[in-house]
Amino acid sequence: MTTVDVASRLDITDLSRSFGETKALRSATLRVAPGEIHSLAGENGSGKSTLIKILSGVLRPDSGTLTWEGDVMRHLASPASAQAMGISTVFQETLFAPEMTVRDNIFLGTDGLFRYGRRKGAELEVARQALSDLGLDGLDPDRPMWMLSLAERQLVTIARAIVRPWRLLILDESTSALDASQRDRLFDYLRLARSEGKSVLFTSHRMDEVLGLADRITVLRQGTTVATLAVGEASRRSVLGHMSGRADTADIVSATSAPYLEAGGLEAARQAAGQAAAAGTPVLRAEELTLRPSSRPISLEVRAGEILGLAGLEGQGQVEFVECLSGLRKPVSGQSAALGANGAAHSVRSYGTANRLGIRYVPRDRRHEGLFAPLSVFDNFAITLWSEFNWLGVLRRQQVRKRFADFSESSRLVSASPARAISTLSGGNQQKILLGRWVAMRPRVLVVNDPLRGVDANTKEELYGLFRRLAADGVAIIYLSTEITELLTLTDQIAVFHEGSVVAMLPSETSSDTDVVAAMFGDEHPGGPQQAGAGG
Amino acid sequence: MASVLSGRARPQAALTPAVRQVVQRNSYIAVPLTLLVVLFIANAIVQPQFLSQQSWAASMAVLCPTVLTAMAVTLPILSGNGGIDLSVGPLAGFITVLIAAVLVPAGITSQVIIPIVIAFGLLSGAINGVLVAYVRLPAIIATLGMYLFYQGLGTEVLPEAGGSVPVWLTKLDGSYGPIPAVWVVFAVIAVVWLLLTRGSYPRNLLSVGGDERAAYTAGVHVNRLRVVTYAFGGALAAIAGLMLTGLIQGGDGTVGPPYTISALTAVALGGISLAGGRGGLLGGALGGAVLFLIQELLTDAKVSVYSVSVVNGIVLIAALALNGTVEYLRRKSAAAKRG
Repeated sequence: MTTVDVASRLDITDLSRSFGETKALRSATLRVAPGEIHSLAGENGSGKSTLIKILSGVLRPDSGTLTWEGDVMRHLASPASAQAMGISTVFQETLFAPEMTVRDNIFLGTDGLFRYGRRKGAELEVARQALSDLGLDGLDPDRPMWMLSLAERQLVTIARAIVRPWRLLILDESTSALDASQRDRLFDYLRLARSEGKSVLFTSHRMDEVLGLADRITVLRQGTTVATLAVGEASRRSVLGHMSGRADTADIVSATSAPYLEAGGLEAARQAAGQAAAAGTPVLRAEELTLRPSSRPISLEVRAGEILGLAGLEGQGQVEFVECLSGLRKPVSGQSAALGANGAAHSVRSYGTANRLGIRYVPRDRRHEGLFAPLSVFDNFAITLWSEFNWLGVLRRQQVRKRFADFSESSRLVSASPARAISTLSGGNQQKILLGRWVAMRPRVLVVNDPLRGVDANTKEELYGLFRRLAADGVAIIYLSTEITELLTLTDQIAVFHEGSVVAMLPSETSSDTDVVAAMFGDEHPGGPQQAGAGG
Repeated sequence: MASVLSGRARPQAALTPAVRQVVQRNSYIAVPLTLLVVLFIANAIVQPQFLSQQSWAASMAVLCPTVLTAMAVTLPILSGNGGIDLSVGPLAGFITVLIAAVLVPAGITSQVIIPIVIAFGLLSGAINGVLVAYVRLPAIIATLGMYLFYQGLGTEVLPEAGGSVPVWLTKLDGSYGPIPAVWVVFAVIAVVWLLLTRGSYPRNLLSVGGDERAAYTAGVHVNRLRVVTYAFGGALAAIAGLMLTGLIQGGDGTVGPPYTISALTAVALGGISLAGGRGGLLGGALGGAVLFLIQELLTDAKVSVYSVSVVNGIVLIAALALNGTVEYLRRKSAAAKRG
């Protein structure tokens, strides 16, 4: 394999990319040297995946330049041309053709339309070698892909990347399904490749992997490169600090003080809610709820008037957790139980039971799981109420109209006419209606999944107010959000998920962004387990 | 049933990898192949002269357009993402008009007709492919447009069925010695297809059908593959039209459209997943043959034309349900083995 002698293998400056209104990447700068393992770090939505898609030829940037081994270019034409240049990528999602064999999946895309890239015999040899490099010596390359385990599938997609003549290997969260020994084997392979002058760029949600494997770490925050650290000078805390944007205070912030949180009106409201929570009776309990076969059981309790925040990097179990609580998914073991006024526990077995027990779930995907786009504002609001407000099947419109008026007046939420098509409303207003639909049901427990995504700042403030009033009225709120600041301002405590388990239970008042981010990356927070015990 | 399946998997271990891969890749034909054998025997019992050489050759000629249009529609379906080509029937029908009312009157009567027709089919299919891959129209809509186009064009060019056909083309129900003429056509197609499948085309086709994003990110030229695949389908439909011309001994703009429906039925009977990514050309061919044998059996049994359609419908639904069941058991037994 020829290795070009260059000072910099990949050099990107000021790369940006928007999707509609959303700026996924603002100004990404990254330099990967030959013979280097480089980690790309950042929270959810920091632009890591967008950057990786640009580097692998899947997406084109809006602006910025990209220099590959001395050649300056605006973009890579396609995944095929990225691979021809020597950039090989393993994507976060394990992508494979299920009916095809392991061998076919490995050599996918290395052929012409009609001609194989290599002789069949040579293929088998190369496939065996790649699989054995990754510790899959026993795997038959002629086995169909759908018969493989999750970990084997992920390793085959890695094998697909390494059989190409690569000089830069990009691994985007590519170890999520692997066990410790498989991961070690992969890392040994990567270190060996490094010693041959090749480069590796990887992302991982495990901080120990980042610090243990990388030579340098580039941190992205909100689509912008904020730091590049040599691993020798980077501490766990400083990396986390850069990710959460509290770099200057990262190393001195302790769990007992949070100086940057303004104790304004929001704070007071939160404390009021907090006191209500202390006085409230438990309404919902997770009992030894296990989300994944390998994860630890979760036990916790939510009281009336309490707002419990759920945090975690993408795919760490928080979504499964809310789905279990609202009866949409069955846990591997354990259960979620609603507690009646007399303390009697009722197991949440299905979405139907959850609803009867007063647990209301507001889904994340407004367009697909929430709204009826062709219907009016009023119809969208009232859809949940008809089962209650009818007399022998005849709808009692007047009463529902009154509910609607009450809701829109008391919460100052809706300015739009009830007859308007909901699709003509802004995202924020749509979200208000969607929330109103469930709030009008007078829930005991409101489970919300990232409700303020794509909502403007003013509407956010109004909705914060709504959630606080609900809590003050004694509704327990489970609040899943991808925004840490939001969780810190609104919730009473935050359960942080990592790999399907709750790794920390942080009191919002005394925790910092960095504490939350640290826990998201699998740091066992000193106060974590005990807190979790106290909460549960 | 599960034990039967896993029992079949065990002897495979003794086979060479290449053979095993062929068996694995073609296991989907188990159902249509069984149906074919059963129906063949049933036909032979109901109508003993079914096996005579004379009737054999004639049957093959009748069966030919059904099988070829079924094969034609199989290819786009294999490419996944809602791939389908509804225009195969009307295209075959239009070819009869093209030959009888355009080429022959223009003095083209020799075998030159064959490459002209195939080129026409390739081009027509390529247009479908471009509409689907690059213009990104849903295949069912784009090819419906082509369906209507050929249907209209056929009757416009030749309002009344008729025209003249070269003699060599009408001899298709005959034989070369003991070999029915139609077999020669299939043999040629089979050889071309086998040459294609020795290369990487099937891997590309089935991976695009199986998971388009996996194929694209791995570097497969997905769009190019689609255009080529629809073009091959068009060529097969055009050959179906050529055979149809010989069969009806003239041109007829209205003869084509029903073949689209029978082709889709045949694909389902052939064990091919409409979702793409699993199956092969052989499945389409077998499905077409099965469909033909069902019709033959019912005709021999003096069942009315309308009942034939009723039976076709029932067989189609039963075949789909059976495919689903076999697939379910296959996965279940594999999952059990994995533990």
